[in-house]
Amino acid sequence: MTQLQAYEGYSVGDQLDEIVQSVDQSMINAYADASGDINPLHIDPEFAKTTFFGRTIAHGLLTLAFVSRVLSAWNWHGWAYGGDLNVSFLGPVYPGDTVRVSGEIDLIEKREDGVYARCKIVCHCDDRTVVKGFAICKISPKET
Amino acid sequence: MSDYVKYSSMSEGDDFLDPVPSFEVTQERVEKYIKSTNDGTKQLTVKDAQGNTVAPPMLAAVYVIDALRTRVGPPGGIHAKQQFKFHRPAYIGETLFTSAQVLKLYERKGRNYVEMTTTTRNQEGELITSGMITRIWGKEA
Repeated sequence: MTQLQAYEGYSVGDQLDEIVQSVDQSMINAYADASGDINPLHIDPEFAKTTFFGRTIAHGLLTLAFVSRVLSAWNWHGWAYGGDLNVSFLGPVYPGDTVRVSGEIDLIEKREDGVYARCKIVCHCDDRTVVKGFAICKISPKET
Repeated sequence: MSDYVKYSSMSEGDDFLDPVPSFEVTQERVEKYIKSTNDGTKQLTVKDAQGNTVAPPMLAAVYVIDALRTRVGPPGGIHAKQQFKFHRPAYIGETLFTSAQVLKLYERKGRNYVEMTTTTRNQEGELITSGMITRIWGKEA
């Protein structure tokens, strides 16, 4: 594998377009309904009071849906057809929070089957980091 | 008898889902997911070159968790880490089958952790998504 600083309009240090998404309990409930994940920690305030968090929290995978929106907008084909995601959930997203999803290309490498970019991904709620990790997507043209 | 899986009942290497559950990728499910996640990705609104209507890659979060729900932990469990490899997006009309295997069991700071690998294939055996999920097991009564 060979590391590159730039390839076909992609450069190390490029920022992906951010998204900012507010989350409220109705969005969490809608996600619970759509996903079928009805863990009471997300949707039952009385149960959530008995937990470490003291109140409901959003599904971690809802936050990853926002990450997917950023990556889809940046490089749909590389993301949807062969993309890798590796993240840790570092903190909760509470109803009323606003999630800001950022990404930056920190590595471009040429492999046997094409050129790939690795993006650092971070999700913040104000100054709290709630998700951190990276995504790897192919950036060389798809085979025809 | 509890209605959840006890941590002590799992062993590394176990096939967690046996039999492997199925998941129908329906238009209704996909539309509901897109709406709930406020996803305006334009490729989701048109058919691809092969005439398929593509689901969001992260629908994997739904079909993988749906599969794992057939054998749940106690309430209050937390998702700690997630890896996904999207071999290709699922298409509306497909039936997906997700298998899962317990990779690691360990304790950290008094909490029980489970790492599982997941593999999702369609009705023809085509690989759609593979992944690894790390969960902090909920407290058992």
